Amino acid sequence: MACHARDLLNWTINRAAGTHLTVAPASLVFPVLTVIGVLLGALLASTTSKEFRWSSPDNSLKTFIYGALVMNSALLAGGCSIRLLLRSAAGELLGLMGFGGMVAGVILGTFWLRWRATQ
Amino acid sequence: MTAAIATLVIGVVLGYLGQRSRMCFVGGIRDFILVRDTYLLRGLIAFGLTAWLAFPLFGLLSGSRPGPFASSDAITVLLTVIGGFGVGYFSTLANGCPFRQHVLAAQGVRSSIAYLAGFLAGAVIFHSVIERLVLRFLP
Repeated sequence: MACHARDLLNWTINRAAGTHLTVAPASLVFPVLTVIGVLLGALLASTTSKEFRWSSPDNSLKTFIYGALVMNSALLAGGCSIRLLLRSAAGELLGLMGFGGMVAGVILGTFWLRWRATQ
Repeated sequence: MTAAIATLVIGVVLGYLGQRSRMCFVGGIRDFILVRDTYLLRGLIAFGLTAWLAFPLFGLLSGSRPGPFASSDAITVLLTVIGGFGVGYFSTLANGCPFRQHVLAAQGVRSSIAYLAGFLAGAVIFHSVIERLVLRFLP
């Protein structure tokens, strides 16, 4: 998800401003549209099952910052959670190490959330 | 162009299934630790197993194989592990992995739409600041 969102954004900026930002080889001519596809599919599913509802369970500024942090970590690691899992499944040792780091991060984050909830 | 159409179609299917099943990669591990709920964790394991089986299968069919182990020097390994750790940690704090946040944003959750905005802003920050810093301090 992270790389494809990056590709779509950078391709649009490159096309609009004539810059040469990093884009994966698959989306040089036309960008990959996974992000738009997932949004459309989830919108279709939520409207047909009548689960679409405007709500805001979390602080928007906080999630904005988390989004930026996750994107930076993902681009540093070379893939978000899905791509790290796929890289491990393809037998890449480096991807497996990234996935191990991700599992460690989730475990630590969960314990931090639980610790904060009990304070 | 084929990549764009293929990812669009697969994205719609994934988004539909992801909304119906509440699939989340980070949430699987989190739910297992917090309440010993294996519903999402089984989805994660099934995804990994399917990919593990499918990669050699399609490699055989198309005549190409997944590459050998990447030539990994210590700094690349360090960056990958730190990045992976950050993905896991901040995704847990944000209540879901990037895929889940995309699905939630399409369900009308405003904080997830803010998350996506931060996601795109993060890409800009990475390419304009972080990437250059990393490149400068690498030998």
